[in-house]
Amino acid sequence: MTRFLLRRILAMIPVLLGVILLIMVTINLIPGDPAALMLGEGATPEMVAKLRASLNLDQPLPVRYVRYVGNLLRGDLGRSIREGRRVNDEIGDVWPATAQLGLSALSIAVVAGVVLGITSARWQYSLFDNLVRIASLFGLSMPIFWTGIVLIVVFSLWLGWFPAGGRGSWLHMVLPAVTLALPTIAMLARITRSTMLDVLREDYIRTARAKGVTTRSVLTRHALRNALIPVVTVMGLQTGQLLGGAVLTETVFSWPGIGRMLVRAIFARDYVLLQGGVLVLAATFVVINLLVDLSYAYLDPRITYR
Amino acid sequence: MRSARSFLLAVGLIVAIAMNPVWAAPVAPTRGGTLTIARPVDAVSLDPYFETTAPGAWIYQLILEPLVIMGPDMKVQPKLATSWNVMSPTRIRFALRRDVKFHDGTPFNAAAVKFTFDRSFDPRTPSRWASIAGPIKGAEVVDDYTVDIVASESYSPLIYSVAMVYAGIVSPTAVQRMGAEFSRRPVGTGPFRFEEWRTNDRISVTRSDDYWGQKAYLDRIVFRVIPEESARMIALRTGEVDMVLMPAPAQLQIFARDANFTVASATGLRVVMIAMNLSRPPVSDVRVRRAMIMGTDRKSIVDNILEGAGAPADGVLAPGVFGYKPLGLDTRYPYNPQRARTLLQEAGFRPGPDGIMQREGIPLVLTLLSPRGRFFKDAEISEAFQAQMREIGVRVDISFLEWATVFTTMRAAVLDYHVVTRGWVTTTADADYSLLPLFRSDQVPPRGWNLHRYFNPEYDKLVDQARSSTSAREREEIYGRAQELLARDIMAIPVYVSREIAVMRANVKGFVPHPIEYNQGFAYVWIQR
Repeated sequence: MTRFLLRRILAMIPVLLGVILLIMVTINLIPGDPAALMLGEGATPEMVAKLRASLNLDQPLPVRYVRYVGNLLRGDLGRSIREGRRVNDEIGDVWPATAQLGLSALSIAVVAGVVLGITSARWQYSLFDNLVRIASLFGLSMPIFWTGIVLIVVFSLWLGWFPAGGRGSWLHMVLPAVTLALPTIAMLARITRSTMLDVLREDYIRTARAKGVTTRSVLTRHALRNALIPVVTVMGLQTGQLLGGAVLTETVFSWPGIGRMLVRAIFARDYVLLQGGVLVLAATFVVINLLVDLSYAYLDPRITYR
Repeated sequence: MRSARSFLLAVGLIVAIAMNPVWAAPVAPTRGGTLTIARPVDAVSLDPYFETTAPGAWIYQLILEPLVIMGPDMKVQPKLATSWNVMSPTRIRFALRRDVKFHDGTPFNAAAVKFTFDRSFDPRTPSRWASIAGPIKGAEVVDDYTVDIVASESYSPLIYSVAMVYAGIVSPTAVQRMGAEFSRRPVGTGPFRFEEWRTNDRISVTRSDDYWGQKAYLDRIVFRVIPEESARMIALRTGEVDMVLMPAPAQLQIFARDANFTVASATGLRVVMIAMNLSRPPVSDVRVRRAMIMGTDRKSIVDNILEGAGAPADGVLAPGVFGYKPLGLDTRYPYNPQRARTLLQEAGFRPGPDGIMQREGIPLVLTLLSPRGRFFKDAEISEAFQAQMREIGVRVDISFLEWATVFTTMRAAVLDYHVVTRGWVTTTADADYSLLPLFRSDQVPPRGWNLHRYFNPEYDKLVDQARSSTSAREREEIYGRAQELLARDIMAIPVYVSREIAVMRANVKGFVPHPIEYNQGFAYVWIQR
């Protein structure tokens, strides 16, 4: 187990190095010079050249890559080109907001999705099951931008229950977290339902029923645990979806998170800030997938890690 | 549509008049309260050294004050300087206030001014606004309360550079003590002090009770970031914010009709135009350019596309700019597709089988470079131009690119496009800022912005003369002649002049819209209770 963990953590290093290389190369392919953009229309080429030099933008890509990785080893993500601020501080400001939003959305999605899925499977082809299946199709296909605005109009403008945007009390949290959770709820409900249906047809479930275990206990103790493995896998993959969706949700709900920071960095061609942000997101995703892998052993004792 | 626009213009005007301090005198301003303002993006920094865009400038001008400032009437007004004296086209002498302290207790004096200018114009690491300010060399201390601002070459618009909000004087001790942190928590002399900055969420300032001048009414101003246009307007309706900057144009008329809200606006300084590239035939032929401008229904674009958020342009400069001359383009080149086709035929073009004009078998196809979303309605204008050119037998192929790419393409030594949809702000509010870099022979990219490839020695002489003359009347007259040349040679099809618009709750009083986007002032706004 320890060896497995160690190996997986070591394997993260080339992944992240590759991510950095990929980001740097792609950013370099986009036309647009941050120095010229920053100085605006009035700048002379001499001024732009001076600024480029002071930002180390005039050095070749391999040099910048090695230097970046070197600084990274010391935990330094560099300084934002446009704002002159440490990227560590910038990400420290926005990352908690995104994490809070993502975790809340994930919790809502897991609870709602799994409960809906189990209920659907328990009463297959009932009215409830059909409703859930139609609603989940709807939830999967509606763009976040649209649901977000609709929720704002209904719950902020008409009913006045929740603020229309910004970060503050838990009330601010509700609409963006629900908006972000909706597609994942739908996804998890569908997956839980179908795996539960599969598991419920297994022999050991019949055995359990035959020895007189209550339906409730069959569902939660025998079936659910085995049905959870695909659900957890999808959950891990959906985290990527949530992080991506956060960019849109953060925009609609004025949520001060990392998604909006990235959008801004792209338009300003702020390479350093962009690299830092994407790197942190990639690292998060890698860590979450590791946690998902580890949870398999907990859910199914037959799985061991070597 | 036409009447709706006039209505909106009228509303803007009435608001502007009603909010003029003299007229507003009968209602005494109430003290206290918090004003919450929503805008689409966060500040880059609160230090003009790093930040020249409006979302930051709106805030730091409450904290940092320049020596002189451009008022909403486009006249230079004293701020930290009591008076100034133009010694020569390269030097202005300022007499400073003696009763001013920075928020951290540091006394304000000539040394602080010198410190600010030295920092901004350090040749090794120039500030972001150094590129806008013209050939400023720096500040020279004459005595404790007298300072000279010096240019390295004749530059008569010098006072306009010093009057920009970017030239706000910073506390030298605070900059030295705080280092890079200063740009997040600036210390100045203004009517408000910095309070808090939550990245991408909100920035707040509080009233400075020992301000040297007239004290502000509001206790606090909070600037919130609400990126989504419709979410911004909803927040105004729910009362979460009191004022929206950069409002959704499509909703302006609804808010203007609603008694709970006020819409205030001023004609801005940005002109959006379709620029001609003379190095690419057949645009090099003035008859073709004349056909293009006469085939463009500029009025219909302004009326139908801009929804009241822009005014018709009558030249490459906006009316608020010093040196602006109305050129009467509507009478000089009235919209007349019939005449436009005749002009093209005079230039040797004949209608082809598909309706597109051709000369020697080659169809008349123009390539248009256009950003999408950089300037208000830029893409829509490009598309309207395309449709209108089709009417006179010209095919236009548009390349829509994201702004940073358009910027790089325009800045290159060779421009492969016939026409470019572009905007230009006369940032200093002086004609020199536009007429020199945009059209002088030596300003072809990458050096300047003469992407028209306009080479006219007569024109060059005029803009040089105006730059070194110290007589305002003479300069105005010279710029008039220069603009006549641009209109005669048709360097661009000017489409619209921007409007600076704010929507607020009806109890927000005392806001005077400013023609310069980043100069919007909130220091003396108050909330009626």
